[in-house]
Amino acid sequence: MGTSDLDRQIEQLKRCEPLTEAEVKALCLKAMEILVEESNVQRVDAPVTICGDIHGQFYDMKELFKVGGDCPKTNYLFLGDFVDRGFYSVETFLLLLALKVRYPDRITLIRGNHESRQITQVYGFYDECLRKYGSVNVWRYCTDIFDYLSLSALIENKIFSVHGGLSPNITTIDQIRVIDRKQEVPHDGAMCDLLWSDPEDAVDGWGLSPRGAGFLFGGNVVSSFNHTNNIDYICRAHQLVMEGFKWMFNNKIITVWSAPNYCYRCGNVAAILELDENLNKQFRVFEAAPHESRGVPAKRPAPDYFL
Amino acid sequence: MNLSNLEMEKAHVISTSFFFRFEDKLQTTHLPEMVFGESFLSLEHAQTGIRLHFNALDALKAWKQEALPPVEVPAAAKWKFRSKPSDQVILDYDYTFTTPYCGSDVVVLNPDTMQTSLDECSNLCWEDTEDRIDFVALSAKEPILFYDEVILYEDELADNGISFLTARVRVMPTGWFMLLRFWLRVDGVLMRLRDTRVYCSFGGDEAKPVVLRESCWREATFASLSAKGYPSDCTAYGDPNLIAHKLPVVMQKTQKLKLPN
Repeated sequence: MGTSDLDRQIEQLKRCEPLTEAEVKALCLKAMEILVEESNVQRVDAPVTICGDIHGQFYDMKELFKVGGDCPKTNYLFLGDFVDRGFYSVETFLLLLALKVRYPDRITLIRGNHESRQITQVYGFYDECLRKYGSVNVWRYCTDIFDYLSLSALIENKIFSVHGGLSPNITTIDQIRVIDRKQEVPHDGAMCDLLWSDPEDAVDGWGLSPRGAGFLFGGNVVSSFNHTNNIDYICRAHQLVMEGFKWMFNNKIITVWSAPNYCYRCGNVAAILELDENLNKQFRVFEAAPHESRGVPAKRPAPDYFL
Repeated sequence: MNLSNLEMEKAHVISTSFFFRFEDKLQTTHLPEMVFGESFLSLEHAQTGIRLHFNALDALKAWKQEALPPVEVPAAAKWKFRSKPSDQVILDYDYTFTTPYCGSDVVVLNPDTMQTSLDECSNLCWEDTEDRIDFVALSAKEPILFYDEVILYEDELADNGISFLTARVRVMPTGWFMLLRFWLRVDGVLMRLRDTRVYCSFGGDEAKPVVLRESCWREATFASLSAKGYPSDCTAYGDPNLIAHKLPVVMQKTQKLKLPN
């Protein structure tokens, strides 16, 4: 696959037109070669722009690129959850993956809890692949790639980035480096926690979710992690925040959320975090793409003889 | 009860400041991920001042009162064997936001002093009745003069399923019908459907219409469904409309609104 092929595919994907099954297969093979070399804690240089959950909201991701600038001009770090919930998981993930293959040093993709076989079968990506391709092959290629995505990123050794949060099994960042990540997201253990856990005001140390699975971590846990690893703060995604970003625990952890009007009904704004070469922060807040740019008109619910 | 006034407000999810007010009123920091706190559905009858009101705050007050024990997800079995951090706290609120709420009714005596609150729903009298909502009449495809739906709250259970509360209404030439629906699916564990239906048939006598309210609660575990030969994967249970009949009824009652003379 030459550069010109790849450029053509990127242009096509930017118009929200999916690739053929054969093209997806070739792209995934190429991406695998790149991702397999990446560390579980991928090193990222500043300047960089950090993005949270996208969830298949393709036209809103185009707004994100309008606000943040095009790749490769802007260096991007995406914190996972590219797929599920929205209407265009296929085009969203393939565009990001094509950019990764074309500009491997200018875009970093790490894994979210939705980059999983089990979750995508429930929350949309599986069905979307089946609907758009008539088979589940594209879903298979993509979920195989998910296993290769890195688990976290470390920006200039000062900002630790992960999709969900911390794990009681992880005290030092070096402990993340030795995880065997090339597998489906497990139901427990360090890898699961990094993709699933949440900060929680109601606890200082560790909390267990009322669901009986899933860790919550408080301010003390974050302080000691940041201190031990000599980092300034943790940057994570995973939870909807209405203003697009939210600091917790005295600016020791931040949540960044990049899916505006989440699920097309939530009314929230989205944000990306731009860090310059000196790690100075600037949040860019943006709204959902206007309806007319989506190719589908806004519609009121159709009257329904519900019973 | 002819509808003189049907108000429907659809607002976006509450902002952070609104959230704090909700947290304060409910005395909890745990709220659904999406609370459409400014949205409501309100049906008012001008002659009597009777108003049926449906909103998220009252529904969440009822959630807090019912305070069901939390539902464990399938992964919890494995987690019991995980070594726990020494300072671990176990949170135990009902994260499914299951609510027995069936609406807030009030009599509006003076529009300026209108108060809507769960505590004051004794204002209206609902009597148990043997009457049933006439679903045959409701199935007639007569023109729908007005239709709308509103989400009151919704939560993704941190990717462990879905929980939502919605209200829908349709107005036809011969009556109006509304459905307040709480729907919960905890993936791999259970489903709950709590429906409140209110039907007003204008009949021939506009002065003495009949307002019936039916509450129907259904619940089933995935294990019990699978034992009956139904699918056990959660993808088969996306749309409550399609699967409601597979869930056994655990509570059902019909009440009639006692109209003042």
